[in-house]
Amino acid sequence: MTTGGSIEVGQIEALEREATDRLAQIADEAALEGWFREFLGRKDGKLSGLLRGMGALSPEERPRFGAAVNATKDRVTAAYEARKATVGGAALTARLAADAVDITQPGRPVPMGTLHPTTLVTRELSAIFALLGFQTIEGPEVEETRYNFDLLNIPTNHPARDKWDTFYVGSRGTDDTVNEIVLRTHTSPMQARTMQRQDPPVRVIVPGRCYRYEATDASHEAIFFQLEGLAVDKKITMSDLKGTLTEMTRQLFGSSTKVRFRCDFFPFVEPGVDFSATCAVCGGKGCRVCKGTGWLELGGAGMVHPNVLRNVGYDPAIYSGFAFGLGIERIVMIKYGIDDIRNFYANDLRFLEEFAGTRI
Amino acid sequence: MNVPLSWLRDFVDLTLAPGDLAARLTMAGVEVEAIREVGAEWEQVYVGYVEGVERHPNADRLNLVRVVAGERALTVVTGAPNIAEGQKVPLALVGARLWDGHSDEPKRITLKASTIRGVPSQGMVCSEKELGLSDEHEGIMVLPDDAPVGTPLRDYLGDTILELEITPNLVHDFSILGVAREVAALTAQPLHPPHVPDLPRSQAATGTDDPPLVAIDAPELCARCVGVAIAGVTVAESPEWLKGRLAAAGLRAINNIADVTNYVMLEWGQPLHAYDRDQLAGGRIVVRRSEPGERIESLDHVVRTLDERMLVIGDAERAVGIAGVMGGAQSEIGDGTTNVLLEAANFNQYAVRHAMQTLKLPSDAAVRFGRGLDPNLAWEAAARATALILDLCPGARVTGTADAYPAPTTERTVDLPYGEIARLLGVTYPVEQTVEVLGRLDLGATVIDGAAGEEPTLRVIVPTWRQDITQSADLVEEIIRVIGYDTLPTTLPEGRTVEPRRDPLRLFADETRDILAASGLHEIVCYSLTDEPSLDRLATDGRWVTWWERDRPRFDATRLVNTLRSDWQILRPTLMADALKTLSQNLKFRPTVRLFEVRPVYLPRQLGQLPVERLTLSIALAGERTGRSLYTTAGEVGASLDFFDLKGTVEALVARLGIDGVTYTPSDYAAFSPGRAAELRIAGDLIGVFGEAHPQVAANFGIAAARTMLAEFDAEALFSKVEKRMGTTGATRFQPTVQDFAVVVDEATAAGTVEEAILTAAKPLAQSARLFDLYRGEQVPTGKKSLAFEVTFSAPNRALAEREIEGLRRRIEGALQKRLKATLRA
Repeated sequence: MTTGGSIEVGQIEALEREATDRLAQIADEAALEGWFREFLGRKDGKLSGLLRGMGALSPEERPRFGAAVNATKDRVTAAYEARKATVGGAALTARLAADAVDITQPGRPVPMGTLHPTTLVTRELSAIFALLGFQTIEGPEVEETRYNFDLLNIPTNHPARDKWDTFYVGSRGTDDTVNEIVLRTHTSPMQARTMQRQDPPVRVIVPGRCYRYEATDASHEAIFFQLEGLAVDKKITMSDLKGTLTEMTRQLFGSSTKVRFRCDFFPFVEPGVDFSATCAVCGGKGCRVCKGTGWLELGGAGMVHPNVLRNVGYDPAIYSGFAFGLGIERIVMIKYGIDDIRNFYANDLRFLEEFAGTRI
Repeated sequence: MNVPLSWLRDFVDLTLAPGDLAARLTMAGVEVEAIREVGAEWEQVYVGYVEGVERHPNADRLNLVRVVAGERALTVVTGAPNIAEGQKVPLALVGARLWDGHSDEPKRITLKASTIRGVPSQGMVCSEKELGLSDEHEGIMVLPDDAPVGTPLRDYLGDTILELEITPNLVHDFSILGVAREVAALTAQPLHPPHVPDLPRSQAATGTDDPPLVAIDAPELCARCVGVAIAGVTVAESPEWLKGRLAAAGLRAINNIADVTNYVMLEWGQPLHAYDRDQLAGGRIVVRRSEPGERIESLDHVVRTLDERMLVIGDAERAVGIAGVMGGAQSEIGDGTTNVLLEAANFNQYAVRHAMQTLKLPSDAAVRFGRGLDPNLAWEAAARATALILDLCPGARVTGTADAYPAPTTERTVDLPYGEIARLLGVTYPVEQTVEVLGRLDLGATVIDGAAGEEPTLRVIVPTWRQDITQSADLVEEIIRVIGYDTLPTTLPEGRTVEPRRDPLRLFADETRDILAASGLHEIVCYSLTDEPSLDRLATDGRWVTWWERDRPRFDATRLVNTLRSDWQILRPTLMADALKTLSQNLKFRPTVRLFEVRPVYLPRQLGQLPVERLTLSIALAGERTGRSLYTTAGEVGASLDFFDLKGTVEALVARLGIDGVTYTPSDYAAFSPGRAAELRIAGDLIGVFGEAHPQVAANFGIAAARTMLAEFDAEALFSKVEKRMGTTGATRFQPTVQDFAVVVDEATAAGTVEEAILTAAKPLAQSARLFDLYRGEQVPTGKKSLAFEVTFSAPNRALAEREIEGLRRRIEGALQKRLKATLRA
């Protein structure tokens, strides 16, 4: 057993050098573990061994020696931790590299459903009108002629009725004055039903199915969806109608859309108009979709006829209102460039799946 | 209605180009559907003069015609029988584009130089058909004497036709004069109505003591009847100008007398009828109701049976015309007619519409009467027609007139409080401008000053031809349609808003759609009409019944009276048939199809009552669960969807709708395979049925898939089970405990029974018992099965102690042994 601090100190330094030199060579985790046991193992580690040999030192030398060993041990441990991080990181990197996949392979299939295009556009319209303060309500598809015609200022036998070719349901009476049951030809009966049910103010839209007894072609269906709008209160004006429809078409087709009114005849409005929006496809320059006119006809509108207001018990001298109706399929056809309305009810998945990604 | 601009120009100066005029009319409510240019395509066609006609040397039926047109002089060969020296005719030169006169379908040809039977023909004299003016091809078209020889025909005869769609309210625009009045108002031009010499008011044709020429026996259905007796007429072909105008408007020429009545109808909107007066018993007519079952042979030589709601024109013995619809054959104007009775009447629109619809005779006259004419038109129209007949028949004279008009219609006064304009439109215009606009429409307005601070009122005299104007809103429309809707600003409604109420059923329907679409199903929307054979395909015994009452509704109250398609007979009482039909169609080109529909079904009530429209949900699935993919094993590929795919969809739906208390019990509904169908019940109430369609039912719909899944639920019943929950249970704060239980039970014991026994025994701490393994075979006796459940325990206010879990475990085991005779497996 040697004595003398300098020799022991030299011993410590040599061991530290050996430990750090060897550590620098280590590249894998197994070797690192072996190194740890060799130098820092609690039982047979060489650095711990130094402390165990301390009994040979004089009591005065022990504290100094112990402090030197501990300081060395801290440094070597720190070096170990650093090396471990490096080696471990490299191992992880290697493992991840081996785990790489071809991310261009397809994902696991998840069945993807769709909503019907009429559902999508009805919702969109309902959301737009909710912002304008309109409730969305629905009404019966099978209707009494009283609501479908009479209360709407379309008397029995009047030539105006010829505009609506009608499906009759149940047994049909021969007496012209009888209240018959029909498939509603428009959503307008809900104007009368709503006003009979409540006092002004009224602001509703009514989406729903309608029926016309007429042959189908690419742009006409016998069964189709319509959206009715009705606002009645004191001081409702035709300018409000124009503004409301302008907001609707801006939301649907873009902020530069404008609305045009042309005088037209619907017995339940006066003044009555048809309304068009600037063509969403060409922006009004004229194209195939708008047949070169720059305008897309969307529906009929006007100020609720005073006779209709009287029929439901509203005083036309106090209240005024506007009403409009438009075809929901028509909006879908414009928005999505569909040229045959019969696609809607063929329910061919190849058509329906076109709407998987087109929500609003 | 076709409006030739050449005719319109007789009454108003046209200051706008045809396209602009059409746009202006359309904006004002008189819709121009099309603008047709007549003669635009006439190249190399001129007004020619026939200098001489000689027989073709080699053909008896052909002539050689020498025609001059300006500096051109040429010889053409023609077979036209009516060719004559001195005529003016349309002459087509080589290269002209014409219509093939011999083709039944419209067909364009280019005229070439040709040699006909050895004689060269350098051009052609044309028929109306060859010029595209009408179908007339019997002879060449003979032009009026004043036609300028050598002028391009286009300049002389070319025209622009506006094709108008006249809405039912605009009967006053249903004539050339009406449209002229409209154009005059819209373009601020004066109207030049034709000069009509007035008729004498005399009874000379009959003795003064005799009954008048015309009488009204049914004044409630006939407001007026004007009769004019004309003697000495010569029935002949109409002159070219008259035939030309009728053709341009779309009517066929018949003879001069009939053509005049049609001409005046087009010009004035008042239908007229001319009778051969010598064929009228008594030489007079009376307007009366038809006798029930009365018969008449109409001008089209069909014998028609009338009813007492129709009006007829009768002579002393019989019906000679169906009032406003069609004249009778017996008194028709013929070549030998010399005495004419001209009738211009005002028949009730409903009587005429009834006759027109019952007899299916939508004649030009009936369509006009059906819209309600102004009785004051009749006299002037009769005078105009008489003047024309006298012009065309130089020897003719009026021998008497009569005017039965018991209650003359007079002008109406409508007040327009000035504030109404702003109240309805949201914008107002100067009073002077308003008065001027109304004046252009022949609506004479007087301004009546209001009391201090009050708006003035316009007192408006409405002429009798504007029967559509009865109240102030009608006048507001007149003002804005002339001033222009483009002057309206865009504003949003002010004032009170409505209560922000949302329809919960509608929200529920949308929620259901979203859940199902997110579960991989496609929403379909089918026609709501069907027929009984389509429904019967849903049954193995060919007789469909409902799943809720096991009975077939009586469809009287939901059956269509009139239909377009043989498979549209009733309103559908179920969505199932359409679900399977759509599934079948799509399976033709897709290996897997998953569909749903959320629409009402229509359940009949009493006849005369509206049916119940009940929101309903259907689901249909069929095909492969998974196709070939990188991630499926060989065994999985191509395996068919089955009952449990459908049940999983249903479970996900009710779970996401937040519905509790769901039970599934076997269903024996006949559309399904026995043993593979279930009823969905919530709190005991039947909500719907689902299962695998019976193979025969699937086959009825042409479905070849191994298994076909079908479901229908009463969506409104489902909706009634949704409880709106506020707050949460708090269970998530404490870690739940999960334990497995494996039990051996009889084969006949349903998994649901075991699950229910577990949950009951450990109530309320057992949250769920999930079957995760099912085993038959070694170590399980024959006739038994082993079920393994994963049971989750939790409490809202604590973590469960081991001791508690042990107690629950013993309770569950005890219950299973006692209630189900189950053996527990380690």
